Amino acid sequence: MALTLNDRLPIPHKNAEVKNVTCEFCIVGCGYKAYKWPLGTEGTYKNNALGLDLSQQQPTYGDWCSERMFNTIQDRDGKKYNLMVIPDKECMVNIGQNSVRGGMMGVSTFNAASPTKDRLKEPQIFRGGMLMETSWEEATTIIAKVYKKIIDNDGADEISHKTFDHGGGGGGFENTWGTGKLFHTAIGTASASIHNRPAYNSEVHSSREMGVGELNSSYYDTSISDTMLVIGCNPYECQTNLFNIHMQANLDGSSIENKKKEYDKGESVSKGKIIFVDPRRTASITNAIAIADKENVLHLQIKPGQDITLMNALVSYIIEQGWEAKEFIKNHTENFDAMYKVNKISLEYASSITNISVADIKKAAEWIAKPKPSGHRPRNAIYYEKGIIWGIKNYENVASIVNLGLVTHSVGRVGTGICRAGGHQEGYTRPEYTGPSRQNLAVIDTDIIQGKYLVYSIWGTNPFGQSIATQRLRNAVNKRSQIVKDAINGYHGNNLDELCDIIYNACKSGGLFVVDIDIYPTQSSERAHIVLPAATTMEMNLTSMSGERRMRLSEKVMDAPGSAKPDCLIAADIANALKAEYLKSGNKTMAKRFEGFEWKSEEDAFMDGFAGQGSKMASQGGPTGTLANYKLLRDAGNNGVQLPIVKVDNGKLIGTRLNYADGKFGTKSGRATFLPTPQPAMPKQVAKQVKRYKYWVNTGRINEVWQSNYHTGRLEFTAKRWPMAPLEIHPNDAKELGVTSGDIVQLSNDYGSTRAIAIVTDAVRKGEVFGAFGFQNSIINDLCTDYVDPDTKIPFYKGTAANIVKVGRSEGLIKDMTFAERA
Amino acid sequence: MVNVEEKHTRREFLKFSALGLGTIAATPALIAGDAPPSMSVYGSYTKNRVGSLAQLKKAGEIDFSYPDGNALCKAVYVNNEVKAYSIICTHKGCPTIYNKEKALFECPCHFTKYDAKKDGQMVIGHATGALPRVLLEISGDDIFAIGVDGLIFGRINNNVG
Repeated sequence: MALTLNDRLPIPHKNAEVKNVTCEFCIVGCGYKAYKWPLGTEGTYKNNALGLDLSQQQPTYGDWCSERMFNTIQDRDGKKYNLMVIPDKECMVNIGQNSVRGGMMGVSTFNAASPTKDRLKEPQIFRGGMLMETSWEEATTIIAKVYKKIIDNDGADEISHKTFDHGGGGGGFENTWGTGKLFHTAIGTASASIHNRPAYNSEVHSSREMGVGELNSSYYDTSISDTMLVIGCNPYECQTNLFNIHMQANLDGSSIENKKKEYDKGESVSKGKIIFVDPRRTASITNAIAIADKENVLHLQIKPGQDITLMNALVSYIIEQGWEAKEFIKNHTENFDAMYKVNKISLEYASSITNISVADIKKAAEWIAKPKPSGHRPRNAIYYEKGIIWGIKNYENVASIVNLGLVTHSVGRVGTGICRAGGHQEGYTRPEYTGPSRQNLAVIDTDIIQGKYLVYSIWGTNPFGQSIATQRLRNAVNKRSQIVKDAINGYHGNNLDELCDIIYNACKSGGLFVVDIDIYPTQSSERAHIVLPAATTMEMNLTSMSGERRMRLSEKVMDAPGSAKPDCLIAADIANALKAEYLKSGNKTMAKRFEGFEWKSEEDAFMDGFAGQGSKMASQGGPTGTLANYKLLRDAGNNGVQLPIVKVDNGKLIGTRLNYADGKFGTKSGRATFLPTPQPAMPKQVAKQVKRYKYWVNTGRINEVWQSNYHTGRLEFTAKRWPMAPLEIHPNDAKELGVTSGDIVQLSNDYGSTRAIAIVTDAVRKGEVFGAFGFQNSIINDLCTDYVDPDTKIPFYKGTAANIVKVGRSEGLIKDMTFAERA
Repeated sequence: MVNVEEKHTRREFLKFSALGLGTIAATPALIAGDAPPSMSVYGSYTKNRVGSLAQLKKAGEIDFSYPDGNALCKAVYVNNEVKAYSIICTHKGCPTIYNKEKALFECPCHFTKYDAKKDGQMVIGHATGALPRVLLEISGDDIFAIGVDGLIFGRINNNVG
């Protein structure tokens, strides 16, 4: 094989177009600059768009474009360009740094001669036994005709959907508004679910009901906290630049000057400490120790599922010591006594349940609440994420942490916060969801398995790898989709009314009409009858907000492949097609429901939704979202504005660094509400697996894989790193199983079976394994039970059990893969 | 707000040597080669002698610079093979430290790790590629560097600097 040296990139021309791009991946939302200039031209070493002398070696932390930050692209007019997407030094989120994910935005863009070449380009329809290309008009007309028939005959709730509700790539305020308006008010279905879970619900219902919005602080405040408490969360891998920049600055002491500036007069100031609550040793923990030494890092290696007990123990001990924030509790909270009556437990009992020593629980409580030498209360930045959210009982899991935060006044003060760390960015503006209350929500994917609904619309997600009991879901949808496929195969004409009658009748006979909207072919498109191609980051203007509510306009840089469109405009196409069908049938009342989609661009959707609705709708922009527009956001650049917007001052958006600084919380009384959070028993489905199968299975994210692995599973660098999902196994277990690193193992339980590559490591405990989620070729969620928290319908993805057997070894599969210790 | 200027300054004064500060810019001793450079088979690269194979087997590692004095590299002897890499982390340009026992290049700035046994593949971290690999030619006891596969941090072209 010829060796191609990757040792030179073209120099960005001085006249290159420069655009602001927000990373499309994790919640931190780092700023990038995209440079685009005609292929075949370049600047010179000294005269170029970067303003650097490129004949010289650039310094450490200098601007640089790696090969993966570069691509060649082609717009719809046929013109070809070079593209560089490099981290922005002026962005205060990442000050010029990238994660492995964001650093690959360049190579992730569509290039017909690269691993991204199989992007969906044109609408497709299942005819003649396969998916084949068709026009937007035919595709949306078929959707409209089938949906209309269902709405008229069976009711809109028969149209179930699973739709992204996030920011970043494939999301954003424009697209959540477009899809939300289509499903919630125009179609009017309550049979909704969200990209990563089987119902339409918040992941943090309890925090919101306690009056504490889940993103209430800023990364700057994290950098100047005394103690960081990180629960079920691995920021080095999952919120990379929150860890690398803001937490690291706190741990290594470089934020001390800022602390002096921000703290009260006379208040003790020192380097930050960090506490991790995690059943395994993560890279965040080992690297925090490398930065701050062992005495400033505490790892509470908790027994899975026992976080509530630990939080209750911390609260109890803090109160026993008299360290609670008495004034704050008295003046700004309610329900304290009811909470403490239920939650009070002894440290000894908690230690026996959580597997954490009494001494370590005491030490954690001291770091969080014991007055500092100056007598001031410690400032705590509390973060939790999927280890809690996807835990034993979502509602109490989150609430128990908020209780601890309130007891210690860790919200609304400089250097504090009680926040989810987050996965993807946010970007929610939708008409109010009118479905049942959280306790009565439909669990859509379980319903689908049981034969309910006539339509399954899947938008920007792959439920077949990322829901509960996914193997059962795949099998059920295979069968039901096939009923419709068989019916279509039997019709050779092209009268759309006849075709849609056939599809409808097949659905009424146990079939399921599957519509998939995405950027790549997936396990969803394999089962779909209509597939529509969407645009993503850099192919449209897109607004989102980060984990510190920082809203940016990520600008359009290039055209989407083929005739792919922004999701909001696809939603508009479907709505307009439905409107036309209703007008044709003379039903003006129904046609009216589909009005208001006359958008020509994503900016129209933004002005209608985020900037148009204010407090009329459920929007993360709140009532002052109406102050925003593209021009102001473009001017605000990669630093954007932290929501909520306070005002526009001389053409500048002024935002909010810290929420609840006024001590008024999001409840009717304005007081934050404590909640009793008793430790629940293991759910019966999970307990049954634990009884029958030997290994506890924890699941989670790894650094190099983003979500359903849609880009990262294709790109050479990351695909080579992880050809299949890794499964961390303790050395003692590995010995017993006769397994060494690199072996393929099979895991199985009552719900399904899957395979993974064994990684032998003592980062996990004996009897507990950790599998990475998101892989399309080894799906750990196949082992997840169908349990959801009855109070929120949120799954326990991180709790199941399985047996493990060694399958064998494929040297070819792993020959390029390193097995060195990660944590 | 985080003061960008302040942060950046702090980063430039990290306790270990960083590129461009002169302290680590290769001294003549680092530029290996008692053999005169000649053209590499990979075009514009010169062919530089890195050192002796016997010496590498004994020491386990040899420092050198390639393709010029500003490009710090290391040859290592792992799994009975000679491998050589640019030691500059391709995340933000910090010089990595070689962990001989584990055969890993470890970055002290943000803890990116690269496996010397696996063509510099990233074990974990924030780089978007493996460590640039120095292509070698071994002739008798002489190890020659003849090219670099992968862009060296801070360069638009490996042959600048």
